[in-house]
Amino acid sequence: MAVSALIIAAVFVVIFAVFAVFDVVTGKRTKEKYRIRTALTAYLMLAPAILLAFLFVLLPILYSLGYAFTDYYLLEPDNIKYIGFENFTRAFSEIASGGTLYRALINTVKFVIGVVPLQIGLALLLALFVNKPLFGSKIFKVCFFAPVVISLSVTSFLWLQILSPSRNGLLNSVLGLFGAEPRDWLRDPASAMPCIIILSAWQGCGYQMLIFLSGLSNIQQNLYEAAALDGAGAWHKFTAVTWPGLRSTFVYIIITVFIGACRILTQPMLMTGYMDHTVTLSYYMYQQGYTNRWVGYSSAVALLMTIVIGTITLIQRRVLREKN
Amino acid sequence: MEKAIHKNSSLLKNKNISSRKAIELTVYIVVGVILSLLFLFPIFYMIATSTKSESAYASSAGTLAMFLPDLTNFGEAVKNYGNVFSNYGIWRYAVNSFTYAVIAIVLNVLVNGLAGYVMAKLNFPGKRFLSFMIIFLIVVPVETSIIPLYSIVKIMLGLKNTASVIGVVLPASISIFNIFLFTQFFESIPQGYEEAARIDGANTLVVFFKIILPLSKPIVATVAVFCFIGVWNDYLWPTMILPRAQEGQWPLYPIQSALTTIQSIQGITTGEIMSALIVTSIPIFIIYVLAQKYIVQGFGTAGLKM
Repeated sequence: MAVSALIIAAVFVVIFAVFAVFDVVTGKRTKEKYRIRTALTAYLMLAPAILLAFLFVLLPILYSLGYAFTDYYLLEPDNIKYIGFENFTRAFSEIASGGTLYRALINTVKFVIGVVPLQIGLALLLALFVNKPLFGSKIFKVCFFAPVVISLSVTSFLWLQILSPSRNGLLNSVLGLFGAEPRDWLRDPASAMPCIIILSAWQGCGYQMLIFLSGLSNIQQNLYEAAALDGAGAWHKFTAVTWPGLRSTFVYIIITVFIGACRILTQPMLMTGYMDHTVTLSYYMYQQGYTNRWVGYSSAVALLMTIVIGTITLIQRRVLREKN
Repeated sequence: MEKAIHKNSSLLKNKNISSRKAIELTVYIVVGVILSLLFLFPIFYMIATSTKSESAYASSAGTLAMFLPDLTNFGEAVKNYGNVFSNYGIWRYAVNSFTYAVIAIVLNVLVNGLAGYVMAKLNFPGKRFLSFMIIFLIVVPVETSIIPLYSIVKIMLGLKNTASVIGVVLPASISIFNIFLFTQFFESIPQGYEEAARIDGANTLVVFFKIILPLSKPIVATVAVFCFIGVWNDYLWPTMILPRAQEGQWPLYPIQSALTTIQSIQGITTGEIMSALIVTSIPIFIIYVLAQKYIVQGFGTAGLKM
């Protein structure tokens, strides 16, 4: 472990030195002057950042690539064997046989398909609503943003009470007024994921609303005036001016919300625990790597996840940008 | 005559418009209030429940009183919050969270600020490679590497002991994106300020602390605010690396991780859980109110990530 870290560090120092020498050599031609004193000061001031970034940013990324091909068990760090693609075949066979990983995949897809349109659509509607220069719009903006201030764990525990299976839980008692029997919302496979989708959108959409608002403020007002002169109605103004003006904001939001949604972990972890009907990919990864200590297998799942999410993000970018 | 008619009709039109505007405004406010209530009801419920005893909570079920604080029995609210503070000792966890956040902020500004300064103002061999690495690491999704990060910290600091406190603070103090932000900001500071100081014989570090940092209050504040929110709200990472509280010892968990422990205490009432949730949320709420300006700035820079 420590040895491999040192080897990686050495490789990086060498690559670094090659680039530095290259800079010095080409610098002579472009008459760029390098002073040894300045270079020393620079590296001295960079040292803490380089050290920390190496340990906590770069090394984890490289390790997660490397571990994926080993049988690394957390409690035996000195006994790591290279096992080729075994972790990946195990992951694929677990998906094919309908195991927990398959459930995790399905639940994550469900969550993403539910939360991305809900959260973004809500955020856009709220932004358009709050953007009207009418009485009260500023207060409404604060109200819609309020849930963002609450952390994910507080959100989870709060909604755990709202969705409580007891007759006195908020949702059950309100539905009880209409004669409905109390239900255990989070243990029922039919309702657990929809509940998590709704509370996640509730907590998050105020943030995207603010980003949409800053996008709206960048649209020039005279475009609306021109559209009004042409006799455009509200809907036409939206399709002809607002929507094209929000395009880049929209692309940014859809990609960030999508990536964030794929990583969902805290809500199912705190609200239901490791259950077949709410387990997600991140949760599965965490369970395998942390609770069960199979770092190698967990890293392989993480790598697969990164590849899939990365590919989808690239496709999204292509498709959304091309229409522009 | 013709003019008078014209005037008249425009007056009529104005009246029409103003009454239409009044209706529009009323509809707007009604819709706004309904939407706001939809967004705020869980928060009202949380605040209201935190003032109730278990029996008062049960009897309010299914009525509007669920969303209203129990003002008739003020002692109950005091009891709930008092229990959360003294019996469940939430203040200790709050102190922990606060300490971790402050240390992370100081390190974050120092480490990333220094790096940003070097990248913005100094010329040295290897700089182009470093800039490339910065962009590369911003683009690569880092979150999926939490398990390898855990294994690294575990080997560095051992498993679940007091030293793991360092593991909470150190990873939070490096942020490649903040280096990028600092670089962008420092590049906009005119060279003249530094040169004046250098003529007076100040070295690079002194220039950074005495000239650059005081000129960079907005970016420092933005980084500090987001670092505070990040560390205070982080649940997963500290829960992974810190040991559980032991009897008779000062616990190491930050407040978010402690919520799991607190809400599973035997015999805890719904009111007490809600008080704990509110106590956890109040510092972030205060930060959002006080540092609004910097948070909005931070949203602006979030778009840069693309």
